[in-house]
Amino acid sequence: MIKRHYSGEQRRALNMIWNAAGRYDFDPPFMAFFPNGRPDGYFNMMIGLVDKWLDTEKIEKFFESYDGARDRDEYDDLLWLGLENCLYEKEIGERPILKMLRAERGERFFKTQQTLSRQQMMLQSMLVYNQQETRWARATGRKPPVLGPREKKMAQALLFPGSLDVDGVISAMKDFLREFFRFDVEKEAARVHGPKEVKGAAAKLLGLVMKKETRRVDVLMVRTGTGTGDREGSVQLRHNIGEVHNSEKAEEDLSYIKACFGKSIYNGHDLRALENDLCKDNDEGCRLWFTKGEPDPASAGTKTAVETAAAAKKQYEKNLAYYKHQAGLVGSSIRRLSAQLDTIFSSFAQPLPETSKHGTLSPEKAYRLAVLDDPYVFTHPGDEVENDVSVDILLDASASRMNSQETISSQAYIIAKSLVKCHVPVEVLAFRSLRSYTVLQVLKEYKEEDCSGIFHYFAGGWNRDGLALKAAESQMEQNRHGRRILMILTDASPNDSTRMPPEQGSVFMREYEGAAAVEDTADAVKKIRADGVRVAAVFLGATTNLENVHIIYGKEFVRIQKIEQLAVAISNLLTMTLREMRN
Amino acid sequence: MDNDLLAFLEKEGIEKDLLDGVRAYRAENTVPAAYAKRIPDPDVYYYGKETWKKAIAALLCGENLLLAGPKATGKNVLAENLAALFGRPCWNVSFHINVDAAYLIGTDTFNGEKVVFRPGPIYLCATNGGFGVLDEINMAKNEALAVLHSTLDFRHSIDVPGYDKIEVNPAARFIATMNYGYAGTRDLNEALTSRFAVLDMPIIAEDDLNRLIRRKYPDINEQICGQFVKLFYELDKKAESAEISDRALDLRGLLDAIGLIKKGLSSGDALDMCITNKTFDAYERKLIHDVIASRIPQDMNRDIVFSK
Ligand SMILES: Nc1ncnc2c1ncn2[C@@H]1O[C@H](COP(=O)(O)OP(=O)(O)OP(=O)(O)O)[C@@H](O)[C@H]1O
Ligand SMILES: [Mg+2]
Repeated sequence: MIKRHYSGEQRRALNMIWNAAGRYDFDPPFMAFFPNGRPDGYFNMMIGLVDKWLDTEKIEKFFESYDGARDRDEYDDLLWLGLENCLYEKEIGERPILKMLRAERGERFFKTQQTLSRQQMMLQSMLVYNQQETRWARATGRKPPVLGPREKKMAQALLFPGSLDVDGVISAMKDFLREFFRFDVEKEAARVHGPKEVKGAAAKLLGLVMKKETRRVDVLMVRTGTGTGDREGSVQLRHNIGEVHNSEKAEEDLSYIKACFGKSIYNGHDLRALENDLCKDNDEGCRLWFTKGEPDPASAGTKTAVETAAAAKKQYEKNLAYYKHQAGLVGSSIRRLSAQLDTIFSSFAQPLPETSKHGTLSPEKAYRLAVLDDPYVFTHPGDEVENDVSVDILLDASASRMNSQETISSQAYIIAKSLVKCHVPVEVLAFRSLRSYTVLQVLKEYKEEDCSGIFHYFAGGWNRDGLALKAAESQMEQNRHGRRILMILTDASPNDSTRMPPEQGSVFMREYEGAAAVEDTADAVKKIRADGVRVAAVFLGATTNLENVHIIYGKEFVRIQKIEQLAVAISNLLTMTLREMRN
Repeated sequence: MDNDLLAFLEKEGIEKDLLDGVRAYRAENTVPAAYAKRIPDPDVYYYGKETWKKAIAALLCGENLLLAGPKATGKNVLAENLAALFGRPCWNVSFHINVDAAYLIGTDTFNGEKVVFRPGPIYLCATNGGFGVLDEINMAKNEALAVLHSTLDFRHSIDVPGYDKIEVNPAARFIATMNYGYAGTRDLNEALTSRFAVLDMPIIAEDDLNRLIRRKYPDINEQICGQFVKLFYELDKKAESAEISDRALDLRGLLDAIGLIKKGLSSGDALDMCITNKTFDAYERKLIHDVIASRIPQDMNRDIVFSK
C-alpha cells in the first residue's frame, strides 16, 4: 500500500481507524472529523470496526454505488447511523468502554448544537438532525425528540442489529434507501429529492442570500476515495453536485452581488489589483466587492437576486422607521457620547500650523529670509484644528445578526454621529461573505457629515472575518493617514462557505470555520496591528466563543450582553484605546 | 531446589523428557555451600511455553544462550528462572561502559600481607559451575568481549594473565541478553554470536499476559484486566507499524501503571505516567492517548479496578 501523505489531524484519524480495525495496511474509504477539524474518535472507531466485523471493500463499494445521487451526503449520514448501531452491538462485548464512548459522543452532539452559528444551524438537514438526535438522546438518556410516523419508522429501521453480517448490512442499507427515499441503488440513475429544509421565518432572507449548501454540522464523514474525476490520489471534501464554480456561474454570482449591494466603488482594474493583493493563501479563490451603493433590484438578473435586493431595501425602510421612532433617545445618546469622547479626542487634536513672523523657525523656509527678505519663515499654532486620529467601525453583517438589524443600525448611527460631532473622521463598514465574495459595504465615508447611509445595513450571509479585516485595512490605507483605529463588532465565530486551500502536505480543502478560521482571523489582526493600526473588538456572542475573542484580539476587546450597549461599548473602548495611545 | 517452578512447568505442559533432563542435571551437579545463597528464588515466573522448551533443551545440550528481543520481553526474568530451575548459583554482569577484561576475570589486590588475585564474576561463575547472566551484552566493548571467547567456546577455559589457565566447570552456562527494537538490527559481532544458541524472545502471548497480571495482582477485576491486556497489544501494533516509536510501549510500563492504580492513582494519571509520557513527542502522545481513550476510562480508581 502506498501510504498517502496526510497532515497531522488526518493521520490521527487514520490511526484511530487502523487501531479499531486491528490492522494498518489499508486506506480507509472514510474518515470522520468534527467541524473544528479534530478527528471524531467515535466515528473513526466505527469506520475501523467496519473493517474488523464487516468488510471495508464491500461497504465501500456500496457507498460508491450512489456516488452520483443528489442527496448523497444525507444518505451517508443516515446509513452511518445504521452501521453505528450494528457495530456497537458487535463490539460492545469486547470493548466495554464503548457504552461510555457512545454516551460521550451523544453529549458532544448536543453540545455542538449549542455552539453552532445561526448560519450552520439553518443549513443542517432536519431529517438527518432528527435521526441523530433520536440516536444520541437514547445514548445519553435524554428525552427523544417527537417524531412523525415516517421518521419514527426510519429511526427504527436504522437500528441495524449486530447479528447482521456484511451482506445483511448491505441489504439493510438498500432496503432503507428504497423504503424511505424511493432510491434504488441498483438503478443507479434514479434520483430522489429528499426533504431539505431551512426552517424559521428569519431564514427566509437567508435562504435567498445563501447558496444552498448541504453542510453537515454533526458528523463530517469525509469520503477519502479517489471518486469520479478526481485526480489520482487526491482526497477532497466534495462539493455538492451542480455547485461547481464555472464561468457561467461566476457571472451569475457577480450580477447577484451587484443587484444586492450596488456597484463597486473601484473600477475593474483596481479591484483586481486589490484581489491580487488580499485574496491569497487562505483566501485563495475568494473575491472582493467594495460598494457604497444601494441594492438595485432592477438590475437583478435572476429571481433570487430580485427578491434579495427587494428584501434588503425593505430592511432599509425598517431601520429608518425604527430610528425615527426612537429619535429622541438617539439624540440624547449622541449628546452624551460626544461629550465623553470630546474630552479624550481633544488631546489628540493638532492645531494646524500657521505661517508667521515669529514662532518656530521652519527650516525649509529659512532661506527665504536671507535670499528674499521674507520674514514669514516662522510657524506658530493656528486656530484651525485637525484630528490626527481616524476611526473605522466594521460591523458584522452575517446572518447571525438577523434578529437585531434595526438596533445595530441605530447604535452604529449613534456612535458615528457622536464622532462626527467631535470632528473625528469616521468610516462605517458592514461585511459579510456570500458566493465566495466578501462584500465590504461602506455605510458612511470619512468625510461625510450625514450618517444616514448606515441604515442600509442588513444582515445575511457568512462572515470571513480574516479577509474582511484585511479588506477594511486596505480601505483605511487608501483614505487616511495618521493614527488609525479599527473597531469591529463580532461574534468571534468566523465561518464561510468558501473553503481554504489545503495545508501544505495535505490534500484536504479546509472549511473556513472552527479553529482554522479563528487562527486565520488572528493572523489578519496581527498583520494589521503590525501595520500600525489599533484593532479592538466589541464582542456580542456565545460564551463558548469567548476564548476565540482572546485568541483573535488579545486583551483589546469588550464584551456586551445585548446589542443596545453597542454605542456605549465602542465609546468606552475608544476611550481606553486612546488613553493607551497617548501614554 | 525449586520444586514450585518444576511443578509450574509441568502444568504448563513442558515435555516430561525435558523436565527429567533438568532433574538429572540437578542430581549430577552439586552446589558449593558458600554459593547456595546465589541460587535465585524468583517471584515472577516466565510465561511462554515454546520459549521455555527451547531454552531448557539448549542448556541441557551444554549450549550457552543468547536471549534477543525487544525490551521488557522477560529476558532477565527467563534467565533468572532458568538458573533457579537448574538450581545453580547466579552471577550477573551488566555491560556498562566501565566493564573491561580485568573486571570480568579478576584483578590483583593487596590483602594486607601480599598481592593476591581477586576473582571477578566470570571467574567465579566459571569455576563454581554457576549460571552467568551477561546482561545487555551488545553494549559491551570489544576488548571486554575478547576474554569471553575462550570461555564460551569448545576450549572452556579462561586465561588469567600472570596466573594459570583455568578450566570452566562443565556445569557452568552463560546466558546473554540483548535488546533490539522493531526497527533495530542485531549488532553483536559474529564471533560472539556463533558461541551462543540464539533465542528470539517473543512478545508475551495474550493468555499468558492475562495470567501474568492476575498472578501479580490477584484481586484485579477480570474484565478490566482483559482491557489492559488488549490495550497493550494495540499499542504494540501501533509501534510495530511505526506510527509511534517503541519507546512508550513496554510491558513494564503497563504493569507499573496497574501498580500505581493499586496505590491510589486514577487510571488516567497512572497510564500517562507509565506509558504516554514516556514519549516526548507531543503528536505521538496524542496518538497513544487516542488508543488508551478507546479502551480505558480516565477516571477508574482502585476500587473499580481491584474489585474481583
Ligand atoms: N513472557 C513473560 N513472562 C513473565 N514476565 C514477563 C514476560 N514478558 C515480560 N514480562 C514482564 O516484563 C517485565 C520486564 O521483564 P525483564 O526485565 O525480564 O525484561 P527484559 O526483556 O530483560 O527487558 P529489557 O530489555 O528492558 O532489559 C517484568 O515485569 C516481567 O515480569
Ligand atoms: Mg533486561
